[in-house]
Amino acid sequence: MITIPYLTAVSTYFSYGLLFAFGQLRDFFRRFIDWWLTTNLHGYAPICLGHEDFYIRRLYHRIQDCFERPISSAPDAWFDVVERYSNDNNKTFKRTTKTSRCLNLGSYNYLGFGSFDEYCTPRVIESLKKFSASTCSSRVDAGTTFVHAELEECVTRFVGKPAAVVFGMGYATNSAIIPVLIGKGGLIISDSLNHSSIVNGARGSGATIRVFQHNTPSHLERVLREQIADGQPRTHRPWKKIIVVVEGIYSMEGEICHLPEVVAICKKYKAYVYLDEAHSIGAIGKTGKGICELLGVDTADVDVMMGTFTKSFGSCGGYIAGSKELVQYLKHQCPAHLYATSIPTPSAQQIISAIKVILGEDGSNRGAQKLARIRENSNFFRAELQKMGFEVLGDNDSPVMPIMLYNPAKIPAFSRECLRQKVAVVVVGFPATPLLLARARICISASHSREDLIRALKVISKVGDLSGIKYFPAEPKKIEQTKNDIKLD
Amino acid sequence: MYVRALPTTDVNRNTEWFTYPGVWTTYILILFFSWLLVLSVFHCSPGIAWTIVHLAHFTVTYHSFHWKKGTPFGDDQGVYNRLTWWEQIDNGKQLTRNRKFLTVVPVVLYLIASHTTDYQHPMLFLNTLAVFVMVVAKFPHMHKVRIFGINGDQ
Repeated sequence: MITIPYLTAVSTYFSYGLLFAFGQLRDFFRRFIDWWLTTNLHGYAPICLGHEDFYIRRLYHRIQDCFERPISSAPDAWFDVVERYSNDNNKTFKRTTKTSRCLNLGSYNYLGFGSFDEYCTPRVIESLKKFSASTCSSRVDAGTTFVHAELEECVTRFVGKPAAVVFGMGYATNSAIIPVLIGKGGLIISDSLNHSSIVNGARGSGATIRVFQHNTPSHLERVLREQIADGQPRTHRPWKKIIVVVEGIYSMEGEICHLPEVVAICKKYKAYVYLDEAHSIGAIGKTGKGICELLGVDTADVDVMMGTFTKSFGSCGGYIAGSKELVQYLKHQCPAHLYATSIPTPSAQQIISAIKVILGEDGSNRGAQKLARIRENSNFFRAELQKMGFEVLGDNDSPVMPIMLYNPAKIPAFSRECLRQKVAVVVVGFPATPLLLARARICISASHSREDLIRALKVISKVGDLSGIKYFPAEPKKIEQTKNDIKLD
Repeated sequence: MYVRALPTTDVNRNTEWFTYPGVWTTYILILFFSWLLVLSVFHCSPGIAWTIVHLAHFTVTYHSFHWKKGTPFGDDQGVYNRLTWWEQIDNGKQLTRNRKFLTVVPVVLYLIASHTTDYQHPMLFLNTLAVFVMVVAKFPHMHKVRIFGINGDQ
């Protein structure tokens, strides 16, 4: 639930209106100037239909230096950001050879596996020497090594399902699996803030798509009842299959899904549950097993569990875990398995080693330490930010915390000023988020030490004062005053 | 003073912003301040200023609501390329609160403009023409209708 000051909402609309008006004015004059210039492309169709590139040309390009910044080291707690400069007003950039060492608050490095790890990295290097960087084949041809088989078995043990299949790319997992699971005549009910990979997969499947209000199980029940009663569009025949798609942690909100209620509703109306645990696997739960462990949901109740290895395991790729029949069907039908190149063997080895560290099978308790540290770090950071008066979204225990910015001018202000103070943050605006709700998204990692977090808090507080994003009153520091009084007495 | 921003079920990012709080107030404030701006720039009578605001409002909203089709970004793969903004809003559902508000605003502007110019010609004629076109374009029966193929697809 986002609480906006009314004046901020009005001023944000006005700012976007002004930006839009200026963009239209510039386009108008550009059309005049282009009319005079001759071109040898007569008879060719335009590349962009209508004004679908308007947002990119007139709004995104103005602040393009806040996005796509190149880095030149591993995404650890501190990393090197390459400095760039632009001679033509942010349209093109030239990289310099200088880098600046910044605190990394943007990488999805939840458990700290994004850089050198004493257990994982030697094994990955060994596997690189033995198997080389790519399998050069798809899984069904010659791309399955025993490491891949071990990886799938590791994933089933970790997630708690009978079988699993692993793909080389997390985005492709969603967009290639959903069309295989459901087709025309089926119904997909997805949360309104689902990731674009799910939206792509759902659109590509040909099934009817309905959306329910974000994280509101009562609205999901209402939509389900309405759709089951209505049936397929025009023929009103019963639906062939109904799949409800939810995510574990929503990456733009940091909110955790209300999974027990969703599963109860789906059981009642006999719909399948597809859970995308991209951000939650390995990051939440007592032993890192994701949202099912955190909320006490039996994994047998969730029909399809999907996840990615990019966030907590420091690798690439995605997996689907389900019943043995489901996984066997997917291995025979899914184009990402049959035709796409399999996950590179060193990456698979990294995932296996990371899972072993998390489960404690490497003989140490580093996994449990990492999990405890990320939980502590997230809760500490979120509590401190809220005390300072920022509006921070997300539930407790979630390592993703968006700080609301709202005004379009504060997006580049926050990003650039933080970079100047050597803190690298990721800012997100329209159209990835709704128009009003631009935000800076902070991802906490287990490799951040307490000093790193305190430094980040100081910088964010200063930049927040400069940009005016402390929308709530700050809590006064009562406790320290009473401590001082006791000491004086 | 704070308001709650409830998440919507509208997946179309081009029209979803209209469901958040503060839009109606911003719209009315922009109209009022543009009247003040016209008054200070042109040094005309209040009635002429309201007429200018009304006609400018007609041009801008007709162009952006009923002429331009599609969305200003490419992320939605062009599913709305045949629909104007008015046809996209509220997922195509007719007679919602937002649509009723947007229909009432040009009519109220027309009444203010004609009252403050004392119903004189030629302002009355221009104002009436503008409001007639605006209101007819917003009828539920005109959903996806292209008269004489004007603004139709190639």
